[in-house]
Amino acid sequence: MALEKGEYRFNGFGTAGLTHLGGEDQGRSFGISGQTTDAWRGDQLSKLGGQLQYGLTDTLSLTVQTTLKPEQDTWKANLEWAYLSWGATEGLTLRAGRLRSPIYMYSETLDVGLTQPWLRLPDEVYSQVQLSNYEGGDILYNLPIPIGMLVFQAAGGQAVNRNLFALDELHDIDYKKIFAANASLTTDDFGMLRVGYAEADIDTNLTASVIDPVGTPANIDFLNLHRQKGKFTSIGYQYDNGTWVSSDEWTRNNTKGDQQGNVDAFYLMGGRRFGDALIHLTYAQLDEDNGRQSSWTYGVNYNLAPNIVLKSEYKRVDTRGNGYRGTFVESAQETFDHAAFAASNGAMGTPARNFDGDIVSVGVNFVF
Amino acid sequence: MKLLITAMITTALAATAPLAHAEVAVIVAANASVSPSQSEVANIFLGKNNSLKGIDQKGWNPTKEKFYSMLTNKSESQLKSYWSGLVFTGKGQPPQSVDDDASVVATVGSEANRIGYVDKAAVNNKVKVLFTLP
Repeated sequence: MALEKGEYRFNGFGTAGLTHLGGEDQGRSFGISGQTTDAWRGDQLSKLGGQLQYGLTDTLSLTVQTTLKPEQDTWKANLEWAYLSWGATEGLTLRAGRLRSPIYMYSETLDVGLTQPWLRLPDEVYSQVQLSNYEGGDILYNLPIPIGMLVFQAAGGQAVNRNLFALDELHDIDYKKIFAANASLTTDDFGMLRVGYAEADIDTNLTASVIDPVGTPANIDFLNLHRQKGKFTSIGYQYDNGTWVSSDEWTRNNTKGDQQGNVDAFYLMGGRRFGDALIHLTYAQLDEDNGRQSSWTYGVNYNLAPNIVLKSEYKRVDTRGNGYRGTFVESAQETFDHAAFAASNGAMGTPARNFDGDIVSVGVNFVF
Repeated sequence: MKLLITAMITTALAATAPLAHAEVAVIVAANASVSPSQSEVANIFLGKNNSLKGIDQKGWNPTKEKFYSMLTNKSESQLKSYWSGLVFTGKGQPPQSVDDDASVVATVGSEANRIGYVDKAAVNNKVKVLFTLP
């Protein structure tokens, strides 16, 4: 339902959660910005958001959404959405401004935990693309069909001076010539299927200071991308008949010039509701050239109120392959030492290794 | 004696029946010329169909529970999660809601492009019933 002229709505959402990584060496971190560690920490999962929508005319509205969430070790305020939306015709909407980048199935509600079954989205899939918004425009077209609704989205724009968490630090990254398109089919009885594609020209320079094997400080260029095309494909499915729930997504990520081929990942999740409780199980997998990360997540959710869900999860995660780290975080120095070890046939540096861990997360998602 | 007990039971059942088995009536204005199907009504109240303006009930009462569980298969918390997905992407807002059955009947009855649902007992001549949910 669109807002009428002069109407406004304020809504908010948030997550208060704790997460802990057990079973790995001291100080090892995990996750999209490395905040899951062997200390119980609230700054990987916790966040707060507010949104204002205002009807400028009966067909033109303004949406502004801000969030407060941690980035690496600092809490940061972000402008996530700030756009004008024009309902051109019954099914056609044009939007322009700052928009959330439509990469994954859950991209547009990435921070609204209440719309997702998990407390932490599957890391194997959701840690790949760190971009959450861009400046540009998109077109949305809703087409009612006899079995439900088809929605098409096409988006274009750019995102410059953003942060990329890599090698345990934040680096600058630019995404230019962003183009994304997706189609989703929401049926009345058989769930929702979404197919999406996104690409961008990527500029980034992962340079870090390390100590070389003879003890001399050195600046090393770990990765230098200049207008290299990154392509991302996602196929997602959601089902919820009130009792049985499923959420599944497969992704393929390919960035030219990053010295590796396709990065494939997926998760399969099934759950069942018992009154106010939801019990669910998820298998997730991430495949890169040099190894595989896989995980099983066991979760129990409980609706404390219609707008508050208490969630608890246990995730067992393993990596295997040739010194493959998966989404466990290694510093620039460790990465350098592994490369020195490989290049010197073991004469210098330290060997790369695999990781495993037990991640426990507890928290609440809420909206108001 | 047996007759008296039967009479008492019948009276007791009759008294509780409207509470336990109240039918939900889906209504439009008496002069409206539309007749959406059950699935179209569900889509109107889920923001997927803008052909009519849904008038919802505030709070969560047995009438609302029956309407949403029978037409959309959603509980109160599932409905909240559904709307969160639309509200926080700027794609939609839940229908306007009013206080009670009488307010729904008054609001729906005053304009031909509105639709609502009420306990069947609240229906008056300002509105007409499209269908009822048992």
